[in-house]
Amino acid sequence: MDKLATRRVYMLARLAFVWALLIVGRLIQLQIVQHAEYQRLAQQQQEKIVELQAPRGAIVDRLGQRLAMSLPVESVCVDPLKVPDRAVAADILSKILDIDAHDLLRNLQWAVDNRRGFLWVKRKVTPEEAARLRDLKVEWIEFRTESQRFYPNKKLAAHVIGGVDFAEKGNGGVEQSLNQELQGLDGEMRVISDVQKRGFDAKVASEPQAGQEIRLTLDSRIQFVAERELKKAIEEHHSKSGSIIAMNPKTGDILALANYPTYDPNELPTGGDLAARENLAVSAPIEPGSVFKVITLSAALETTRLRPETIINCGNGSIKLFGRTIHDHNSYASLSMEDVLARSSNIGAINIGLTVGQNKMYEYLRRFGFGKRTGVPLPGESSGMVRPLKRWEKTSIGSVAMGHEVGVTTLQLAQACSVIANGGFLVKPRLTLDTPIAQPMRVLKPETAFTMRRMMEGVMIKPYGTGHKYARLLEYTSAGKTGTAQIYNYRTHQYTHMYNASFMGFAPVTNPAIVVVVTVNGTEGTSGYGGPTSGPAFRAVAAAALRMLDVPKDLPEAVPSGAGDQADQNDVAIADLGSSIPPPLVQAGDAVAADDRPVASANSALDQRTFLAKGVTEPSHDLAGPRVPNFQGKMMRDVIEQSAALGMPVEFTGSGVARGQFPEPGAILPLGQSIRVQFGR
Amino acid sequence: MATLANILDRFATPKAFEQTAPRARVLEEVDPFEIPPFPNEDVYFYVKRIDNARVLRESDPAARRVCWRLIGTSFAIAVVVIGLLLPTLYGLIAGYRMEALRQERQRLDLDRASLELAEAKLLSPARLEELARIQQFIDPAPQKVVYLDNKLEQKLAQR
Repeated sequence: MDKLATRRVYMLARLAFVWALLIVGRLIQLQIVQHAEYQRLAQQQQEKIVELQAPRGAIVDRLGQRLAMSLPVESVCVDPLKVPDRAVAADILSKILDIDAHDLLRNLQWAVDNRRGFLWVKRKVTPEEAARLRDLKVEWIEFRTESQRFYPNKKLAAHVIGGVDFAEKGNGGVEQSLNQELQGLDGEMRVISDVQKRGFDAKVASEPQAGQEIRLTLDSRIQFVAERELKKAIEEHHSKSGSIIAMNPKTGDILALANYPTYDPNELPTGGDLAARENLAVSAPIEPGSVFKVITLSAALETTRLRPETIINCGNGSIKLFGRTIHDHNSYASLSMEDVLARSSNIGAINIGLTVGQNKMYEYLRRFGFGKRTGVPLPGESSGMVRPLKRWEKTSIGSVAMGHEVGVTTLQLAQACSVIANGGFLVKPRLTLDTPIAQPMRVLKPETAFTMRRMMEGVMIKPYGTGHKYARLLEYTSAGKTGTAQIYNYRTHQYTHMYNASFMGFAPVTNPAIVVVVTVNGTEGTSGYGGPTSGPAFRAVAAAALRMLDVPKDLPEAVPSGAGDQADQNDVAIADLGSSIPPPLVQAGDAVAADDRPVASANSALDQRTFLAKGVTEPSHDLAGPRVPNFQGKMMRDVIEQSAALGMPVEFTGSGVARGQFPEPGAILPLGQSIRVQFGR
Repeated sequence: MATLANILDRFATPKAFEQTAPRARVLEEVDPFEIPPFPNEDVYFYVKRIDNARVLRESDPAARRVCWRLIGTSFAIAVVVIGLLLPTLYGLIAGYRMEALRQERQRLDLDRASLELAEAKLLSPARLEELARIQQFIDPAPQKVVYLDNKLEQKLAQR
C-alpha cells in the first residue's frame, strides 16, 4: 500500500479519535458531573405538582338519600400583569360572570400597581360561565378547581345538617360537629409533561383521603312530614316557633328533627337569619307544663303506693301550698290517678308530687335524663335547667310536679317519653347510624312503664281525655300527654298569657314504634292549648311515620258511618252545658299551667248517665220493651254499670271505648236478646 | 490540486514535501539558428484504447463473507437497539393514554356527581309531594304499599 495513503489513513484515524474523545468528555461532563443540575432543570420544566383534592364526605339519610354533597367547581383568576387591556378585560369578564365591572377594573389596577401576578375574579362559577370563558381562548384567564357544597333538598333537615363556610368548613349542625370526619386529606401527584404540556407520566406522591360519608338516622320522608305539619301548626295558631322530634324508642334513632323557623343552607348566612339558624329542639329549653306530669306519675308509681285507680284529692279546683294558692283550670273534687293524667289536673299532680317528695322527685328527674345533655352530635345542645335539690324552695315540688321551674328541651322530652314507650329504659338519642347503640339504662320497672302506657292511652281514648279529639290516631292505638305552659317573662318577672303548647306521645301502645314530641311556642287563647295546637301535628306525623315504617295496624277498620256522628254529638254534648250539669269553673289567670279544654265536671256515674240521656234519639213505638241506651264513647266499666242498672244483658267484643252497638240506641230490646257492644281504641 | 490527501500530506509528510524541489522551468540558451519549438511541443499525449470488455471481477468469497457479516451485524444491532427502546416507547405511549384516561375519569366522576345531585333534587320529598298534589294522589293506607326489590326474579304485585 502506498506509504502516503497509509499515513493519510492514520492521520484521519487520529483526528477521529480526538473528536470521539471530545464527545465522550462532553458527555461525561453533562451526564455525570452536571447530572444533578440538569435533572433539576428538567424536573422543573417537565414536572408539575398537581394537588389531588379530597372530596368532602356526603351526608345521607338512613335510606341513602343524599342530603349534602360536594362537587368540584371552577374558580376564575387572572394574571393582571399579562392582561393587555384592563378596561376591555373588565368589561368582558363582568358581562360573562355577572359581576361589577368597575370593581373588577379597580382591583385589576391595584394588582398591577402592586405588581401582583394573581387576582381572583370570581370563585366557584357555574359550568356554563366556565365554558364561555374557555371559548374565549385567552391565555391570561386561568381556572382553579375548588369544591362547593350542595344541599339538594334545600331547607329539609337544615338544622341537623348545618352548613359550611366558603372554605368548606362546617359552621353548624352535623357539618360542624363531625367536620373532622367529613373533610378529607388532600393528596399530591407529580405529573411529567411534554413540551406541549401534555402529561405522559404521573406519580402519586401522597394519596388523597376522601372524607367519610355520614349516614344519619333521619328518614327524609318523615322529616318532610314533620316540617310540613310544624309549619302548618305555627301558621294556623300564629305562633313564633316550634319543634318536632320523631324518635325510635328502642334504638334512640332520631327519625325527624324539625324546627321552625328554618333556613336554606345553600345560602350563606346573613345577619338577619341568625334566629332561624338556631336549633331550638336541642338548644332552647322551655318549661314543659303538663307533659311533665308523666314523670311525676311515673315516680309516684315507683316510689309510693299510689296506683292508677287511687283517688286523688283535687281540692275542688284550688290548693294552698306554703302560702301560695294554686288554681286548677277546671274544678274537680277528686279524681283517680289515671284521670288526673287524662284530665290534666294540676292540683291532682301537685298532691301526687307531694306524696312522692322532693328527694325522689329530683332523683327521677335526673333518671329520666333531664338536666344533662343527651350527647347528640349537634353543636350548642343545652342540658336544660334543673335546679339542684338544695336550691329547691318549699313550693318547688308543686311547680315541678306540674312541669314548671324546670327547663327541658324537646329532645329531652322525646328521650323521657321513650322510657315509657320501650318498657323503662333510658336510651341515648342517636343521630348517625355509625354511632353504636349505647347500652340503655333501666329507669323504671317494666310494670311501671306498662302502667304508664295504659294511663297515657287513657288521655287519647277517654272522651274527656285532653288528647282524645285532636291527637288520637284512627288506625293505631296511641298514647300521649298534652301540655300547655304559660311563658314566663324574665323582664317583668311575671307569667304572660302566651303558652308553650306541647304534645308528647307514642304509637302503637302495645309495641311502640315511634315517639313524637311537638312543641309550639308563643300560642294564645284556648285554641293555643297543647291539644288543639300540637295534637293534630302529632297525629299527622305519627300516622305518616307508622305508615312509612310499615308498622302493622292494631285497630280494626273505621266504624260504620253514623257511629262517628254520634261520637261527635257526644263531644258536642260534653261541651254543651245543659241545665242539669254544673258549668265548668273557668279560673282566670294565676301562674298555673292551663288545661286543654273546658270539660264538664263529671266525677260521678250519675252525672254521666244524665248527660248521655240527652243524646238519646226519639224512641220507637212499634215494639214493647226496654229502650236500648246509647253506649257510644263510653268505657267498658260504665257500660256494665249502666246496663246492670237497667237490667239489660250486654255482650262485649274488643276493648277500649264503645264504638258501635246493636240494637241501635233508642230501639226496643226484644225479650231474651242482649245488647252487643263493639269496643275499640 | 487541493485534495484531502494533499492536505494530509501536508501534515504527515512535511519533509517529503520539502525534499521535492519545486519544478522550475530552466531557461536554456537559445540557439539563434534553431527553429523555435511549437507551444507545448514537449507535451505528449496519446490515446490508448483499452478494451475492458473481457475483464471480469475476480470473485472474492472472503470479501463477500465480510460484507454479508457486516450487513447482518448491523441489522442485528439495529434490532437489538430497537428492541431495547421499544418498551420505553410503549411506556411513553401508555403514559399519554393513562393520563388521558385519568382526566377522563375525573370528568366522569364529576359527571356522576352532578347526576347524583340532580337525582337527589328530583327525589326530594317536597318535589314528590308537589307532583302528588298535581296528580291528585293520596297517601296510601297502612300496609297497602308494595315495595319492589331489584331482583330480576321478583314480579310486580299489583293490587
